[in-house]
Amino acid sequence: MIKITNLEKYYRTEEVETVALNKLSFEVKEGEFVAVMGPSGCGKSTLLNIVGLLDDPDGGSFLFNGIEVAGFNERKRADLRKHNIGFVFQSFNLIDELTVFENVELPLIYTGVKAADRKVRVEEVLDKMQIMHRRNHYPQQLSGGQQQRVAVARAVVNNPKLILADEPTGNLDSSNGNEVMQLLTDLNEQGTTIIMVTHSEHDAKYSHRIIRMLDGQTVTENILV
Amino acid sequence: MFRNYLKTAFRNLAKNKVYSFINIAGLSIGLACAMLILLYTKDEASYDRFLPGVNNIYRIVSKEVNPDGSILMQSGNTGSFHGPAFASGVPEIVSFVRFQGDYVNIKKGTEVLGQDAHRVDSNFFSIMQFPLVYGNGKTALQQPDAIVLSETVARKFFGSADVVGKTLQLQRNGTFKPYTVTAVAKDCPQNSSIKFQMLTKMELSAEEISDRMNWFNFFLNTFVVLAPGADAKQVEKKMMRFYEMDARETIKIVAEKYNYKAKAQYTLQPYTDIHLSKEYRADNGMVGASNPMYSYILSGIALFILLIACINFVNLTVARSLKRAREIGVRKVIGSDRRQLIGQFLGESYILCFIAFVLALGIAQLLLPFFNDLSNKALSLTYLFDVKLVSSYAALFLVTGFLAGFYPALVLSGFNPVETLYNRFRLTGKNYLQRSLVVLQFSLATLLIIATVVMYRQFQFLVSKDLGYNDKHVLTVPNVTGNKIAVFRQELLKNPNIEQVAIRNNGFNVTLARINGNKELEFTMDWVDADYLPLYKIPVIQGRNFSRSFSSDTASAVIVNEAFVKAAGWKDAVGQVVDFWYNNKKYTVVGVVKDYHYAALNEVIKPQLLCNNEDNFGLAVIRIKEGSAAAVLPFIEQQYKSIVPLQPYSYEFKDISNQRQYEAEAKWKKMLLFGAVLTIFISCIGLFGLSVLAAEKRLKEVGVRKVLGASVTTIATALSKDFLLLVVISLFIAMPIAWLLANKWLQNYPYRAALSWWLFAAAGAGVVLLALLTVSFQAIRAAMAKPVKSLRTE
Ligand SMILES: Nc1ncnc2c1ncn2[C@@H]1O[C@H](COP(=O)(O)OP(=O)(O)OP(=O)(O)O)[C@@H](O)[C@H]1O
Ligand SMILES: [Mg+2]
Repeated sequence: MIKITNLEKYYRTEEVETVALNKLSFEVKEGEFVAVMGPSGCGKSTLLNIVGLLDDPDGGSFLFNGIEVAGFNERKRADLRKHNIGFVFQSFNLIDELTVFENVELPLIYTGVKAADRKVRVEEVLDKMQIMHRRNHYPQQLSGGQQQRVAVARAVVNNPKLILADEPTGNLDSSNGNEVMQLLTDLNEQGTTIIMVTHSEHDAKYSHRIIRMLDGQTVTENILV
Repeated sequence: MFRNYLKTAFRNLAKNKVYSFINIAGLSIGLACAMLILLYTKDEASYDRFLPGVNNIYRIVSKEVNPDGSILMQSGNTGSFHGPAFASGVPEIVSFVRFQGDYVNIKKGTEVLGQDAHRVDSNFFSIMQFPLVYGNGKTALQQPDAIVLSETVARKFFGSADVVGKTLQLQRNGTFKPYTVTAVAKDCPQNSSIKFQMLTKMELSAEEISDRMNWFNFFLNTFVVLAPGADAKQVEKKMMRFYEMDARETIKIVAEKYNYKAKAQYTLQPYTDIHLSKEYRADNGMVGASNPMYSYILSGIALFILLIACINFVNLTVARSLKRAREIGVRKVIGSDRRQLIGQFLGESYILCFIAFVLALGIAQLLLPFFNDLSNKALSLTYLFDVKLVSSYAALFLVTGFLAGFYPALVLSGFNPVETLYNRFRLTGKNYLQRSLVVLQFSLATLLIIATVVMYRQFQFLVSKDLGYNDKHVLTVPNVTGNKIAVFRQELLKNPNIEQVAIRNNGFNVTLARINGNKELEFTMDWVDADYLPLYKIPVIQGRNFSRSFSSDTASAVIVNEAFVKAAGWKDAVGQVVDFWYNNKKYTVVGVVKDYHYAALNEVIKPQLLCNNEDNFGLAVIRIKEGSAAAVLPFIEQQYKSIVPLQPYSYEFKDISNQRQYEAEAKWKKMLLFGAVLTIFISCIGLFGLSVLAAEKRLKEVGVRKVLGASVTTIATALSKDFLLLVVISLFIAMPIAWLLANKWLQNYPYRAALSWWLFAAAGAGVVLLALLTVSFQAIRAAMAKPVKSLRTE
């Protein structure tokens, strides 16, 4: 599904140039659950953002389902993204002005789903995430675990083939964290490909494979299953 | 999608009350001003266009050009002769109607009332097709004793409008005669240059129509109708050819007799041009002449206000975008592309704009009476509610929403989601745009404030300047003539509260005479009695005042002012001769008065000649004891009514009528004040919003500084000084411009207040003080906040 070769990414500020990704290569097959680990600042988030088509690489190749997407413009990337990729962040990133229901509904709006269908799909997902009773609450009124469940619901409502999670449990206590990990595992078992960045060896055990990074490069891969 | 946008927009508005209030308040005030101005300009542009066939109606106007090319005189007036003469000599002139402002006395029971009554030719209604309520326009003005009334005047005299056939007693040549109402017309629309209340038929003697000397008589308006398709320029040429032929002999006679070398030029002024014309104004019974300058200034102020409100929107939205950065990032991650986000943010600006627009309609309605007073109009929002006005309002809405929303939408939609989502996001750059816009706002506001201050100074100067005579506690009563004068004076002086009574001519008269043998001099000529100069305390600096003990004074003595002496070049004025050669009269100067401002201060004091001949007397001038007005006014009225029973009684205080000469200035003053208050208000609330956002942005910094021991003052200063610097820069931009403009404007006044530096300093200090209050309020609040709280929120 994803094949990355010699990917490069630099950040230039006024004085220094940081190499965030240094000729990085790796591959993810459809249906895989991959964990990415490594010390702070090694380029994990940068990698995830490029895979998620939020950011451009500065060099190398990125095949998404066999198509080269490295040079896509913003419109094309947005289009590909909204139909194929769901995101989960450490800091939830829900929109404060929208209710739980409306937050989850938003991706469907952007993909042009009709209102009646939206209602059915959103309720279905909220039910699955066991957050249905909070549908009319605003994010500020929820606990961290609940917020992350809403974020996961929003990530999956469009039935994306790929979910990218950047430290999804980073802001949660262990029981809430386990719940979220269980959700991701369930999704993976239903066929969704997952790439997750984490600092927790515990969480990484849920995955099939761990990619370890250092200074913008992959150093080792552990196959768990 | 749209519903989702609406939801976010409304919730955002509700959540950020300060932001919403600032934007809605500013925009609604700006829009309300713009609406009023649109209404005003729409009204101006629609003037007189409601008359059927108006595009073929012209006014004959004339210009007298000196041999050196300078213009001696230009006027929209013609005489009784011009209409029939040109109509007979130029085939394209299909018909003509003459129209003259007039005033009659009407007896109603025992009372005599004054009434505007225009004199017109009998075909008036076939050219000016004002709608009638009763009667027939074709026949209404056939009989010499016919009158046509407006509905309002009919109601005033008879209590109803259906009054055809009823009679009114009109005074003509001293006696009251019955006139019959033949038609009642609808009141003329507010956007009409002719607003007649009563029409009488113009009666002209045979000689007035046949004597070619009347080519040189100008006292009424002549309107002509051109044949359809006729070219006005060609018609003017034919008119000139006809005039030069027909008047050739008369021109020669006049040139010889009066040493008149100028040449008359006749042109046609489209009827619809009259309202806004500066050269040939609407006068002599036509009303509402307007200076297009008013439209420009008003539009300028409204534009300023709207612009400043839009700047608030742009600045606050961009400054606040930090708060919304995450939302934007999330939307992008979820699949929104940039165009959709631009749509969303533009939509939000339109929602805000719409709320402001609705409020603005209300504000405009509320302000309308005040605005009407300022602009001399009787506008209403429903009046003129037509497609053009509605579409111009719609355009106003669209343009404002776009102006306010487009730039922020562009900036906000361009945020990089990767940065916004990882709290790495900062508004980059030094914010030059925001700073420049703040500078622009405060420059405009300062400009208007200085303009207002200068205007107030000049107005104060005009109304308080020593006129060279004492106009306090003096009242004037018109229509005291002939043998009534002596009796009236005698009776009034019996009242101990009445100190002096004098008499003069009513009105204003400019004429010309020869001095030093053959030099011609133009001057103002007034007729006054011996009590006039002492009453007004006007000093005689050479020779003597008129005196009843010199019986020859009334026939041959004149007094002149210093300006006259100077223009004549006399060393010793007393004894000089003023020769009115054209009616064989010679006068001898017996005294010189110190120059005094007999006319408004908009003019320099010109030569004036006072004459003692009582034929032109008509205005009684009465000096009363200070504070006795309430007691003495009924007494004067009672005396007047018993001595002059057949004239309407009216009076005026001289100082009040003097002030009225500066009505235009008073209006400008109000307008500018209004504009200045609004611009500074909207600028300040915008600045307030920015300072709130800036303080929020630096909440953590402030917290850390406090923990490290900084005092409230140092922190407040740190937070305020950036903004104050911008305001000070604005002052430096606005002041030179204001100085230039003020100087230019003051050149219009021969007598003007000094433009001193402290005026500017005071205005500048005021602006800085206001800005300081605005900014420091927020800065102090931020500086006083408990540091623990602010550190915890991060
Ligand atoms: N916008 C940016 N501007 C400059 N440098 C950046 C930017 N984003 C990331 N970097 C740099 O790129 C490198 C990789 O950052 P990245 O966020 O990918 O690290 P990470 O592995 O996700 O770290 P963490 O575990 O702390 O989240 C870091 O050195 C970081 O400082
Ligand atoms: Mg990271």
